[in-house]
Amino acid sequence: MKRALIFAKRNMTELLRDPLSYIFCLGFPIVMLAVMTLVNESIPAESSMTLFRIDNLYGGIVIFGQFFIMLSVSLRVASDRRSAFLIRLFATPMKPFDFTAGYVLPMTLTCVMQTLVSFCAAYVIAAITGYSLPVGGMLLSLAVSALSGVFFVSLGFIAGTLLSDHAAPAFCSILISVGSFLGCIWFDGDSAGGVLLTLCRVLPFYYCTKAVRAAVALDLTPSAFFVPLAVIAGSAAVTLAVAVAAFHAKMRSDSN
Amino acid sequence: MLNEEYAVHCLGLTKKFGSKVAVDSLDLQIEPGTLFSLLGVNGAGKTTTIRMLSSLILPSGGCAMIHGHDCVKEPDAVKRLVGVSPQTTAVSPRMTVFENLVFMEELYGADKKTAQRNANEAAERYGMTEYLHSPSKILSGGQSRMLSVAMAMAGGPKVLFLDEPTLGIDVIARRRLWKVINDLKGKITIILTTHYMEEAEELSDRIGIMIDGRLRACGTLAELETQTGLKGLEPVFIKISEGSL
Repeated sequence: MKRALIFAKRNMTELLRDPLSYIFCLGFPIVMLAVMTLVNESIPAESSMTLFRIDNLYGGIVIFGQFFIMLSVSLRVASDRRSAFLIRLFATPMKPFDFTAGYVLPMTLTCVMQTLVSFCAAYVIAAITGYSLPVGGMLLSLAVSALSGVFFVSLGFIAGTLLSDHAAPAFCSILISVGSFLGCIWFDGDSAGGVLLTLCRVLPFYYCTKAVRAAVALDLTPSAFFVPLAVIAGSAAVTLAVAVAAFHAKMRSDSN
Repeated sequence: MLNEEYAVHCLGLTKKFGSKVAVDSLDLQIEPGTLFSLLGVNGAGKTTTIRMLSSLILPSGGCAMIHGHDCVKEPDAVKRLVGVSPQTTAVSPRMTVFENLVFMEELYGADKKTAQRNANEAAERYGMTEYLHSPSKILSGGQSRMLSVAMAMAGGPKVLFLDEPTLGIDVIARRRLWKVINDLKGKITIILTTHYMEEAEELSDRIGIMIDGRLRACGTLAELETQTGLKGLEPVFIKISEGSL
């Protein structure tokens, strides 16, 4: 575990010194919260559309932000592979677990930090626009974001492990477009229903958004919170296991 | 039979990539404290040999030991004994030189205080104090190579693999690196691969010449000169490489 923490510290240092991290991981969610709040303010009240109201918007933006952390992880891992830095580390006594934990831990922490920043920004926006956000719900959303963070970080880790530093961000961009749509970040899937909702329910992204929104609303019913939470936990566990296996396999093939 | 007293000992070490034989039945014994240069044209099998000896890849056949530890059966023990400076500089770009050195020391088990002390000593020894707190990504080619060698020395390896350490750096940086390597001679075993004949001549105790994955000649420069009847490493290398020996 000690080596995993040493490697995690290295990855955190690299992340904190990369200006792109601030744009992708912190700046972007704040900008999106502000822009979409402006959009919401422009929607006539008679339309009864509440998707972009800050209490709903916050949950969507938390998950949207994690898509960008996924992109950031994929870039970091793919760049380390390209620069031969990882091959060099393979010649040290580090184990596959040390590498995986060393990438996943700091990036999951970044997910929580990102949620915290979004939380603060949402709180300020809510105060300005005259809505109230329950602090308890917001704190619960931090816990949910840690779990969904493991899922998104593991996805990025898989992309960075299996793809080159050119292909990984391209793949993640496609995933951001498809995932944010099917994750019901930009539309209300439950109201849409039909094939579209069925499609959304096939992928874990929908449950991520749903669980964070339910957490903020303190709607702790099984269908709104606990079932989505269980799906996120299961998806995170499976994706993390695949990430470890993929990295282990790639570690051998990169060396050979 | 492998001998545990050798720093490096391989018998019939072979590596195949598909149908291509990269290293073919390599027999090699290197005494502790020796600087052994492995020469050969591109694709001769030098880097593959280093990778097998540092437990980075599995051999297809044969066996190898580093100070009595089997490279296949005891990779963890081998990795604690070896330091590797790969062909391409492998440093963490946004971390400073000091942080890179501390990072490697800690990976080899040093506590924070010891790691920092060792990093400062390494910076002093390798002439890196001037840019110790600069990000590694702004270093020149020579400075990067020096950092790479210093990082390979983290944890106090008994065997150091230097894979073309002076490739692409200027003559001043090269001479500086030679001095560092010369200072290490006798203290640890060094396996050096290089394309520069004058470098091998200047630094080596013994020289091995690999052609198409096979070790065609091995000995001191004087022994190789006697074998070929030529003077100087370059003509000796050319004669052996062209297969006229």
